[in-house]
Amino acid sequence: MTKKLRIKPAATADAVITYTVLIAVSFLFLFPCLWLVLASFSGSGSIYSFSGFFPGSFSLSSFGALFTDTAMYNYPKWFMNTLFIAVMSCIIGSVLVLLTAYVMSRFKFKGRKALMRGTLVLGMYPSFMGMIAVYLLMTQFGMVNTHWGLILIYSAGAPMGYMVQKGFFDTIPYAVDEAARIDGASSLTVFLRINLPLSLPIIVYTSLSAFTWPWSDFILPKLLLKQKDLYTVAVGLMSLGETEFARFAAGSVFIGVPIVILYFCLSKFLVSGLTAGAVKG
Amino acid sequence: MLSAIKHGNRKVLLSMFLMGLGQLLYGQIAKGIIFLLIQAMGLWFFIGFGAKAIYGFFSLGALVADPSVGLAGDNSVVMLITGIFAFIMLGLYIACYISNVKGAYNTQLREGCGLPPARFITELKDMADGGFHKSALFLPVIGVCVFNILPIVYMILIAFTDYGGDIVPPALVSWTGLSSFARIISLGQFAPTFSKILQWNALWAIMSTAINYMCGLGLALLLNKPCVKGKTFWRAFPVLAYAVPGFITLIGFKFMFSYGGPINQMITEAGGRAVGFLDLDAKWTARLIGLLVNAWIAIPSSMLLATGILSNMDNSLYESATIDGAGAWKRFKSITLPFVLFATMPVLITQFIGNFNNFGIFYFLRGGLYIDGYFLASDTDLLINWLYNLSIDNNYYSIGAAISLIIFAITSAVALAVYMLSPSYRQEEMFK
Repeated sequence: MTKKLRIKPAATADAVITYTVLIAVSFLFLFPCLWLVLASFSGSGSIYSFSGFFPGSFSLSSFGALFTDTAMYNYPKWFMNTLFIAVMSCIIGSVLVLLTAYVMSRFKFKGRKALMRGTLVLGMYPSFMGMIAVYLLMTQFGMVNTHWGLILIYSAGAPMGYMVQKGFFDTIPYAVDEAARIDGASSLTVFLRINLPLSLPIIVYTSLSAFTWPWSDFILPKLLLKQKDLYTVAVGLMSLGETEFARFAAGSVFIGVPIVILYFCLSKFLVSGLTAGAVKG
Repeated sequence: MLSAIKHGNRKVLLSMFLMGLGQLLYGQIAKGIIFLLIQAMGLWFFIGFGAKAIYGFFSLGALVADPSVGLAGDNSVVMLITGIFAFIMLGLYIACYISNVKGAYNTQLREGCGLPPARFITELKDMADGGFHKSALFLPVIGVCVFNILPIVYMILIAFTDYGGDIVPPALVSWTGLSSFARIISLGQFAPTFSKILQWNALWAIMSTAINYMCGLGLALLLNKPCVKGKTFWRAFPVLAYAVPGFITLIGFKFMFSYGGPINQMITEAGGRAVGFLDLDAKWTARLIGLLVNAWIAIPSSMLLATGILSNMDNSLYESATIDGAGAWKRFKSITLPFVLFATMPVLITQFIGNFNNFGIFYFLRGGLYIDGYFLASDTDLLINWLYNLSIDNNYYSIGAAISLIIFAITSAVALAVYMLSPSYRQEEMFK
C-alpha cells in the first residue's frame, strides 16, 4: 500500500489561522505608513480635502513646495542641519560608547560594579528635568543656538547607554585577548586589532542608534534652537499646522525613507545587537 | 595616600606643598612641569572664578537687579549651576593633587629598591596599557559628569529652594530646605492630582509593558512556526514600523484621529457624528488610543528581541517535551516563557521604566490640555507630562523638582532591587 502524502486538516487549519493573523498584523503595520506616503503625493495640502484615508488627487506638488517654497518653512536647510548634527553626534558618540562598554566589559577595576549601578539609577531620572539645567549650562558656555552645542550634549550623553554594547563584548571569549597579550600586544592593540574587528554587528547597531536619536529627537533642539533657520527637521515639522498636512507627510517621507532603508539593510545586525544587550545586564 | 604622608621624604612633602616640585627634583621634568601647570591653572581658576562661584552657591546672590539705574544684579539660578560646576572642578583638582603626591611617593619607593625614576615615555605607555581603563573612561566620565550628573544634581538642589512662581530671575532665589515637599503635602492642589496621576501611570506602565512584551513574543513565535514561508518578507512589516522615527508616527496618528482625520471623515460619511477621540471628555478612548499607538511603536523592537533570543534556544528541550506528550500551550508555558523571561529580565526593567516615563505619547497625542479636577494636567497625562507642564510651561520649578525627586526615588529603588536580584546581574560571570 502506498502511503499518500496528505495534508492533515488540523495542520491546514493551523496554517490558515497563522497566515490570517500574519496578514492582519502586516496590514496594521503597513497601513499608517502607506497612508502617509500617499498623503505626501496628494494634490492639495489640507487634510480636510481627503476622502477617508486617501487623497482626492495625486501630484508631486508637496515635494516641490517642500524644496522651493522655503520662505516660511526652509525644509532643505532643516534637513542639512539635521544631517550635520546626526552625523557628528553619531561619530563622536559611537566612539565614546564603544570605549566605555569595552572597558566595563573587560577591565575588573575598583568601583566597577558601583559605576554600573550608578549609571542604571542615573538613567532613570526624567531626562527633560535635567534639560532646564542643560539649557542654563549652554547659555553659560555660549552655545545656545549653535549646532555644536547639541552635538556636544548628544555625544556626552551617549556613554550612559553602554549596556547593550557591554553585553556584546561580554560574549567575545577572553581566550583571544589572553593569547594576544602573551604575544606582547598592549591593551590598545587588543582593542583595536582584535576585539573591534570581531564586533562589526555591535558597531553597526551603535552607530545606527547614535544616528537615529539626534535624527528624530525634538525636545533638545526645541529647547536650544530658537531661530527657524537653525531648526532640525523634527522641530520644523512639528511647527506645521493641520492645513499643511501634505507638507508634513512629504517632509516625513523624505527623512523617513533613508532611515527605513538603512534599517532594512542592517536588520541582521540589529537583531544580534539587541539580543546581545538583552542576555547580559 | 596615608602612607605617603607618614613615610614620605622631603621631595614628597615638597610635592604636597607645590604640585610637581618633587617630580622635578627627581628629574621627571615633563611630569613635573605638567603638574606645575595644573597647579597654576587651578589657582588661576579658583582665584578668578571658583571661589566666587562656590560662595555664590551658598548665598545664591544678594544683589537684586535694578534696570532703572542700569544695575545688573545677581542671577541666583546661574550662580547655583556655576557653583556646582566649580565643585566638579574642585573634585578634579583634588584628584590631580592626590595622583601627584602618590606619584612622588611611588618614585621614592622605587628609589628605595634601587630603581631609577620612571621615564615620562614609559609612564605614557603604561597609561595606554595597564591604565587603559582609566585613560579610556576619562572623556566619557567627564562628559557624563557635566551633561548628566550636573543637571541631575542641579534639579535635586532646586527642590530645596523656592525657585519658581514669582521667584524667577531677576528676583533672588534662596535655600528653603524642605518647604517644597511640605507644600506638596499641605496644599490641596498638588496631592490629589499626584495620587490620581500616579494610579494611572502605574496602570499604564504595567499594561503597556505587558502588551508590548507579550505581543512581541507572540509575533516572534508566530514567525518562527515551521509552516510560515518567507519569514524575511513578513518580518519586514514590523521592521518598517520600527524604523519610522517616533515623532512622525505620533504626529501621524494624531492627524489620523483628529476631527478632520480620515477616521472621522468615514464616520461622518456613514452618517454618524464626528468623535473627539482625543477630546477633553475622551478619557478612556484617549487612554486606549495611547496604549495602541504605543504598542504599534514598541512591539516591533520586542519582536526583534524575542526573535534573537529564540534563535539561541536549545531545540532539544522541545523535542523531548513533544515526545513526552506536552501540548503546544504546555511547551510555551514551561519552556519558552521561562527561558525568554530569564534572558530578557534587564530589558524588561528598562522597558518598564521607559514606559513609566513615556513622555512622547501623550505629549504629542493630547498635549497641553488641562482638565477640571487635575491641577495643570489632563487625565491621560503621566507624571512626566505633569512635571513638564509644571516646570517648563508654568514655572513651578521647585515643586516640579521635588516631585521628580520623589518619582526618581521610587523608580530607582524598585529598578535597582529587581536588577540586583535578577540572575543576569548576579551571574554575570557565569556566561563568560
